[in-house]
Amino acid sequence: MVRHLPTLSIAMSSLALLATQPASAETVKLGIGTQDTTTNTVTAGVVIRQLQLLEKYLPKDGKYANIKFELEWQNFTSGPPVTNAMMANKLQIGMMGDYPLIVNGFTFESNPESKSRLVGIAAYSLSGSGNGLVVHKDSPYYDLADLKGKLVSVPFGSAAHGMVLKAMQDRGYASDFFQLVSQSPEVGSTNLQEKKIDGHADFVPFAELLPFRGFARKIFDGVETNLPTFHGIVVRTDFAEKYPEVVVAYFKALIAANQWLRADPKLAAEKIQEWTGINKEVVYIFLGPGGNMTTDPTIKPALIDAATTDVKVLQNLGRMKEFDPKKWVDDSYIRKAYAEMKLDYDAQLASTKNYEVSGEDSFCKKPIIDPRKAGEVWVDGASIMPFSSASCTLGAYADYKAKGKKINVAYVFDTTRGIKLFADQAFFAVGNGEVAPFLLKKDAEAYAAKFSGKVLGFDDAMKAAVGGGKT
Amino acid sequence: MSSPALVRQPEDSMPATALAEAGPSPAAITRPSTPPSFATLGLRWYRLNRAGLRAAAIGVISLLAFLLVWHLLTTYRVVFFVRFTNVPSPLAVYDSFVKAIHDPKFLMHILLSCRRIFIGFSLAAIVGVPLGLIMGRFKLVHEVIFPVAEVLRPIPAIAWVPMAIMLWPTNEQSIVFITFLGSFFPILVNTLHGMSLVDPVLVRAAQCLGARERSIFREVYFPASLPHIFTGLTVGMGVAWVSLIAAEMISGQYGIGYFTWEAYSLVQYADIALGMIAIGVLGLGSSLLIRGAGQLVMPWRST
Repeated sequence: MVRHLPTLSIAMSSLALLATQPASAETVKLGIGTQDTTTNTVTAGVVIRQLQLLEKYLPKDGKYANIKFELEWQNFTSGPPVTNAMMANKLQIGMMGDYPLIVNGFTFESNPESKSRLVGIAAYSLSGSGNGLVVHKDSPYYDLADLKGKLVSVPFGSAAHGMVLKAMQDRGYASDFFQLVSQSPEVGSTNLQEKKIDGHADFVPFAELLPFRGFARKIFDGVETNLPTFHGIVVRTDFAEKYPEVVVAYFKALIAANQWLRADPKLAAEKIQEWTGINKEVVYIFLGPGGNMTTDPTIKPALIDAATTDVKVLQNLGRMKEFDPKKWVDDSYIRKAYAEMKLDYDAQLASTKNYEVSGEDSFCKKPIIDPRKAGEVWVDGASIMPFSSASCTLGAYADYKAKGKKINVAYVFDTTRGIKLFADQAFFAVGNGEVAPFLLKKDAEAYAAKFSGKVLGFDDAMKAAVGGGKT
Repeated sequence: MSSPALVRQPEDSMPATALAEAGPSPAAITRPSTPPSFATLGLRWYRLNRAGLRAAAIGVISLLAFLLVWHLLTTYRVVFFVRFTNVPSPLAVYDSFVKAIHDPKFLMHILLSCRRIFIGFSLAAIVGVPLGLIMGRFKLVHEVIFPVAEVLRPIPAIAWVPMAIMLWPTNEQSIVFITFLGSFFPILVNTLHGMSLVDPVLVRAAQCLGARERSIFREVYFPASLPHIFTGLTVGMGVAWVSLIAAEMISGQYGIGYFTWEAYSLVQYADIALGMIAIGVLGLGSSLLIRGAGQLVMPWRST
């Protein structure tokens, strides 16, 4: 019996070889590097994965009849590890923020096997929202200037790092204005909670997530830099040239994921919380209607111009030599996906509109006309109710409370900057029958000074709204 | 015993490189009275240090061979299952090195890391060795502490990062704490092991001769377990350097571990390699120091 074993195994393995080879069912591994916790990339990553959208759109006929794709999704918390794995050809598609993207493109310049190309956008904010700087909620800092000489951490080489550098440049601060140190989001968050650092600047979703978790306050939002920020998708050219239809299929899946998100943002936020662990209220402030991020895969010229500016920042730091973002962009795949889905790429490219809060205000009984003056209240276990103004939102909030309903969170919009805020974290300029929410205390003070009103916190503003702001 | 040979290596490596013209050694020049010729003196010196020279020469050759292989693999971008396509070449790393040593920050990185390792390691030795001795001598202490130590021991340094931040008031202390943890457990475990191997006959003999507990500790247990303590110190020093990157993720500003981490976050492969090599060289240097200290403390073992 024992003596027969070797011959048997040889026979078996040759049989196996015979069985696999003629059919030539080639298996191709497709590695996709995602950043699940970076909320603005979810429709390019975890949503496609969980809804199995890529499987739906992968080509199955012609030259692909005998190719089986083995999808390998890998999750990272920042961009550089994705670049590293793409360089090593473990990943073929990756997504990351603007600065890591540029580093990705630049690093691939010296790779003899393949280059990388920016082939699409996961989400963007033209005004630069998403990145932000937070301080501990008990600290006396309300503006960047208050942090002079203080210890501020930011993940170096990230989009948030770019925001800090741009803000310092805009304000003419010397490079040693802050004690700027590099800390990853995980380390920086813990350090801020323990008050070991005075400020922490970070990318999506931390500038919203940390205040939501209750120990931080945002004192600077990327909108103040007015430099667009975005998360994009890069692909290895050797893979894309060999299997262009797969990249196109990926973009069809991405478009479908974006449609899924907008069809029911509340459900999407709940699902994304389930998949990524980021609170649904935080997901919704980024990706909900009027949210701080626009999910739109088209590669807008404004974003590439921003990338060119980012390259200069990196060059000034001595981190990079010559790199031209314009040559690094390749929109052929996304254009093809739009064409095949019978969508108009150029129309979408020209549009910078997000979807907005809409509907009928059930509290003040009027339609919502100006969505960036509106507000929303998320009633726990029920729906997200839209309201036409900040004072209606606060009034409705008080009304729900009085009726004993549990409220998850309320959203309002910054009166001048138009970014979505958590109502309970905002500063309200109240007076003259008006309730105007602001992210920054100094903005609220300046606004209130115009009609000699008062700046109130959330609870006092709610009382004021119930008292007189209703009409 | 390989350790004495290794310790002697730095002194010997200089003459070893000049081995080809080994004849006029510095020792020979300083002695002008000439009955024995330079040649015989040189020969005698050579005979005395033959083993050391041999080890040093082979060491240098193997390092050079390593560099050469690395150079060839990266120049020809060899791919045979392991892929060297994008691994930086030694020359690229050397370029980074030249750039780094002209940057005062790099020196700062190294100095701060050395200080952190020194403090963390010293604390670990000060706590670990006596604790190990006491645990080895008194059963109750052993029974109380050993399970806790065994549970904490396998936890990797990087997992300690969030806890370390919360436990200590300053970041510097958190960093030292992580290097401390790295070296503490090898030191403790080896000291314990050394204690368990002490010959009970020696202890009984000392007791019969009227030695008290303190003297037994000083004269029997401690010297008998010293070799293992030094093994523990050497291993502990190594692990302290291993945990450095995890520790200095907290730092955010200085340290060779931070330097390596930052290079990773900006995807600068040559700098990553430079940081790795710097950690390796510093680790080697500190291990040599400990071996040297071991020889001083245990002269009876130096052969």
